[in-house]
Amino acid sequence: MSKRSREEILHRVRKGLATVKTPALVPPDSRDFSKEAKAVIKSLRNNQDNLVERFVTEAQNVNTSVMRAKDSKKLIQSILRLVKEKSLKSFALWDTAYIKELGIKERLKEEGLKVVTVKNKNRIAKADLGITEADYAIADTGTLVLLTDKDRPRGVSLLPPIHLAILRPENMVSNIRDLFILLKDRIDTSGDVKSCMTFITGPSRTADIELNLTLGVHGPKELYVIIS
Amino acid sequence: MSFEKVAFEKDSSRALKDKKLRKALVSVTDRFRAARERASAQVGDWNELRTRGREIKKETIENLDKYLIMLEESVKRAGGEVHWAGDAAEACETIIGIARDGEVSSVVKSKSMATEEIELNSAFERAGIKVVETDLGEYIIQLAGEHPSHIIAPAIHKTKDDISLLFSEKLGIPYYAEPEELTKAARERLRSEFLSAGMGVSGANFAVAETGTIVIVENEGNARLTTTVPKIHVALVGIEKLVPRYQDLSLFLTLLARSATGQKSSTYVSFTTGPKRDTDTDGPKEFHLVLLDNGRSAILSSEETRESLYCIRCGACLNNCPVYRQVGGHSYGWVYSGPIGAIINPQLMGIDKAPELPFASSLCGACRDVCPVKIDFPKVLLDLRKQVVDKKSGTNRVGWHLFEILGIKFWRIVVEHRSLYEAANKIAYYLQTPWKKGNGNLDSLPYPLSRWTNERDFPQIAKKPFHKRWIRIKRELGEGKNKT
Repeated sequence: MSKRSREEILHRVRKGLATVKTPALVPPDSRDFSKEAKAVIKSLRNNQDNLVERFVTEAQNVNTSVMRAKDSKKLIQSILRLVKEKSLKSFALWDTAYIKELGIKERLKEEGLKVVTVKNKNRIAKADLGITEADYAIADTGTLVLLTDKDRPRGVSLLPPIHLAILRPENMVSNIRDLFILLKDRIDTSGDVKSCMTFITGPSRTADIELNLTLGVHGPKELYVIIS
Repeated sequence: MSFEKVAFEKDSSRALKDKKLRKALVSVTDRFRAARERASAQVGDWNELRTRGREIKKETIENLDKYLIMLEESVKRAGGEVHWAGDAAEACETIIGIARDGEVSSVVKSKSMATEEIELNSAFERAGIKVVETDLGEYIIQLAGEHPSHIIAPAIHKTKDDISLLFSEKLGIPYYAEPEELTKAARERLRSEFLSAGMGVSGANFAVAETGTIVIVENEGNARLTTTVPKIHVALVGIEKLVPRYQDLSLFLTLLARSATGQKSSTYVSFTTGPKRDTDTDGPKEFHLVLLDNGRSAILSSEETRESLYCIRCGACLNNCPVYRQVGGHSYGWVYSGPIGAIINPQLMGIDKAPELPFASSLCGACRDVCPVKIDFPKVLLDLRKQVVDKKSGTNRVGWHLFEILGIKFWRIVVEHRSLYEAANKIAYYLQTPWKKGNGNLDSLPYPLSRWTNERDFPQIAKKPFHKRWIRIKRELGEGKNKT
């Protein structure tokens, strides 16, 4: 059934396009993304402080709470403060190298919080807090970019009512254009497009009832970012 | 819904009498318009971005066969399955087949105009499979048994009160007056639906030929849940939704969010490529892409109207349309509304089923001016009008057609000759006497002029025309200036 439809649809498309003499092509045909990526990285390095400032402003504009921590000790303190303030009892987290190095899991367990396995969606959904690390962030729009991978499941930034993301300033890009140059270079180099990438700009929101802004309709109601 | 003939005149007349609806329409479209203005002004080269967007869409459509095959290969490479559906029935059959194979008894859906187009929900119900809309607006509409009235804000025609009553009746919860509480009630309900559903069905804002990536833009997170939690993900995508290259997304995401809601970025953008990998801890085990034609390929053959397929469904044309802003989405009689509905419904349904829609426009061009891919709506509308008229004159309208041509020739002679024009004016001044009203308007002229005055008033023709009064006005103004 589907195979015949395929041929029929393609046939109809070609028949429809028969009147197009020279199909449009958008130049340039090929670009050297590794070269462009290097230029982007260079300009970002020279501009990091400004970009961080910009990110903070934009993120706050869309109801993201941003904290800055000078070092790993301060970072842990910020997390502990949040946990106390909100009386959080359980958490799920990404097992990235940096998160491991910070020892977040151990510290929170010491505080009496329960760590939830990320293998089970129902368990993640019951956790009070999800902790992830942003692969990139876009300063212009206050956006976090998260790539799915081993030990980096999608559900942690989605199912718990509070999402906390750790962001390193060197992962900040200026705008979406620069980001896609880096992403394309990454895909070209690794030959791999991840199964899922997510842009997160503020907590989950809706305005479907008489245009009233309401947070947390499906995803997290609160979004925290610690820049360190 | 889809097999009825569109009755724009009748439905819009009814909508015009609905004060509640008109108030809601003005407030939502005003909000979106102002936000779009602001957000597009922040981008320095906005106009160039729109031009570029148009060029890329033109390229995509003119090479559609090539890019469709490329997309198919990319999706397969990523471990997904690709299905082709010629029409609505085949698309429904395909999706229900996937559900049956996966022994699925309940389905969650995120907002998708394409699934509205094929009436997937009723197909699921007929097959005995439970289906739940999860976008809050769509959920409200589903509970009420209605259809969306705006591409972006499907439930704008419902007030808080309507929704509170609906929820307490259908969900058996107390009457909550606050949007916050209503939203929370919906979250709890829908969360358990997500966790128990066997399949998630989504649409797509873009499908990338180069990588097989499906891109979904949203604010609520329900599309993320739909594509993450159930073990099967099905994306139903119209064949025109392609973009050729991965990096084209940066341009289109910029155009889409700012045009649709005036956000710099939507809250969530999901880029999914195939099913979960073996090393991933979560995500769907199966990914199916269903490519939907359903009349789209027929649009390709006309040079004049082909650009209708450039649309990225942002809804900016609705918000800026003086007609849509008064009559709302339901008047357009089918899934798509506003200017895009006026050009796409007749082409997808067949022009015989929606002959009124190309005329549901003042041709002011506000839609073209805001369109992120610069679709020339007035041009397409005029071409469709021509098609409607050609069909009519082929039947028994030859006499009327001749009358129309002669009438316009006569009109032309009159307006090209000043003395004739002035004489005609004078005659009209005396002719109008029986219909003159005290309010300075003519509000009930005889047929065929009643076609105008039934809906609106026409100002009375003045005894002394403006060009004669102007001589005096100019003099008075000149004197006024000298005094100050």
